[in-house]
Amino acid sequence: MTNTLKTFTPLAWRNLWRNPRRTVITLIVVSIGLWSVLFFNSFLNAWMQASKDATLSLLIGQGQIHAPGYLDDPSIEALMPPPSGKLLAALNDPRISNWVARLQLPGVVESEYKTLPINIMGVDPEAEKHISSIPGKVVEGHYLTSTSDAGVVIGLHLAERLKTGLGRRVILMSQNTEGKLSEQSFDVIGLFDADQATEDYYAFTGIKAAQQYVGLKNQIAQIAFAIPVEENLDPVLSKLKQAAPDLDIRSWKELSVYLATSDSFMKGFIYVWLAVVFSLMAIGIVNTQLMAVFERTHEFGLLRALGMKSRRVLLLVTLESTFLIGFGVLLGMLLSGLSIYALSGGIDLSGFAAGLEMAQGGQVLFPKLDPVAFLVFSLLVWLLGILVALWPARRASRLSPVEAMRYAS
Amino acid sequence: MKTPNVTCRGVGKVFGKGELAVKALVDVDLDIMPGDFATLAGPSGSGKTTLLNMVGALDTPTSGEVTIEGQPLGKLNKSELSDLRLNRIGFVFQAYNLIPVLSARENIEFVMELQGIPANERKTRAQQVLAEVGLKGLDNRRPSELSGGQQQRVAIARALVSRPSIVLADEPTANLDSKTTSELVALMYRLNQELGITFLIGTHDPRVMEHSRRHIELLDGRIASDTKI
Repeated sequence: MTNTLKTFTPLAWRNLWRNPRRTVITLIVVSIGLWSVLFFNSFLNAWMQASKDATLSLLIGQGQIHAPGYLDDPSIEALMPPPSGKLLAALNDPRISNWVARLQLPGVVESEYKTLPINIMGVDPEAEKHISSIPGKVVEGHYLTSTSDAGVVIGLHLAERLKTGLGRRVILMSQNTEGKLSEQSFDVIGLFDADQATEDYYAFTGIKAAQQYVGLKNQIAQIAFAIPVEENLDPVLSKLKQAAPDLDIRSWKELSVYLATSDSFMKGFIYVWLAVVFSLMAIGIVNTQLMAVFERTHEFGLLRALGMKSRRVLLLVTLESTFLIGFGVLLGMLLSGLSIYALSGGIDLSGFAAGLEMAQGGQVLFPKLDPVAFLVFSLLVWLLGILVALWPARRASRLSPVEAMRYAS
Repeated sequence: MKTPNVTCRGVGKVFGKGELAVKALVDVDLDIMPGDFATLAGPSGSGKTTLLNMVGALDTPTSGEVTIEGQPLGKLNKSELSDLRLNRIGFVFQAYNLIPVLSARENIEFVMELQGIPANERKTRAQQVLAEVGLKGLDNRRPSELSGGQQQRVAIARALVSRPSIVLADEPTANLDSKTTSELVALMYRLNQELGITFLIGTHDPRVMEHSRRHIELLDGRIASDTKI
């Protein structure tokens, strides 16, 4: 076999260049096809990463812990104590970069003009700065300064709807521990600029101020945590569930179903794209290889007449396809690597901010080269290319010497 | 008594079926003996190429049997027939039929590579046989850089290098001018005389027939005459 390959390799290589135009066209088809798959994969990954970064960093984090039943009925009766013991130890796992405890209560906000539904969020401002992007999104006034800060930070759009603004007062109403409505006026100390849903439905105040306002001691509604490495998500969740089996511990995939669905759709979509691109490539490969075989029918007849066995003809033509598609794949990898590198500094899509907000997309995408996907998709295209090229090769190998030699060369 | 290189017994070949059937060969009996320099002549359509294809194990007869060195071809499978063509039969075609991407020496070495002969021996034998056919120094030229006569010499060298028991040539001089034809025929005749290689040449070129020591005439698929000269 080694000797046969030694013999056929230079022959196959020279045969490729008998019709340089056809060879170059096939190289272009394969390389552009592979480039589109690799670049698109990188773009989609960047898109999803930006979407996840944008959405999860607002409030969700990579996961949250609640008291059982809270997510179905987020009332003051379904709260939990702050973390301690095993749960606290598990939250201090080095794979969790940060975590925060929050009090989240359903309520209403009232201005002189309007009353609107709201989620009252009691937060620890210092801890929030390490896990949430909201403190950095304050565009007017300032963020909360302490857990006892009794000011309120609301979204720009909510302020507009309430016809209120910085320095004015609003009234927050929510059910207290006695089952009655607590109402208290809060100074608007900051306005934040985020997506419209967050702007409209969240008002932030200090956690101690919020607990005091509804008569709580130290109970909280949620713990949000950040896990920077995606692969660590499942093992950390398991560890947390072991530490607090009675609590409701969920990953972002369960908390933000839209984002999780988009993520899995995007991951699946690349295979659909690969199938579409490869089908087009396969048509090109089979066409050009069939033409190459057809043009050389006489020569294959000669080779068979000289005593070359049909499996060796098959090997020769397959070797030609292997080289041809292999070089196309290398070229495609090079093109993709260069274009991903060229755009790795970021693709700014802020011009489409409104549309991106609707699709929960990030505004700046950072395409990255994923070495595993890079190699797997390239290898897949190469192997599938060789597989489809077996058809013309098989046709060449099955030619009868006498009939093949009747063809004019 | 010598054993024939090739034996044909009752060989017939019919192309097509029913009313469209054409009898290309009818009941051909023929022995080609070692050292023969035989010409196979006859008008177009008389069955020369068909008979050469049968003898060359390129095609199978509809009836009868072809035997090469005592081996009946009908009992061999496709792979064994390929081996037989590779090792026992040399072919020279009208249109030279060299592999265009290989040089003269590589064209000759290619057959030996298929036979599994080591590289050193291949090179030596290829250079030797190129010298024998008068192409010394043209080893590295591609077919497109050689004249018609030179290409046909390479084809003869390729046919000889596998040390076949018989060389079958189908109209080998049809595309050549008279001077080149004379040189080529003289070359084949010399190889026959000096190396004892058996030639069966399908032709209707009188310059080839002049050197023939056995003349077989085909007419309508039958052997009309078989004359030793």
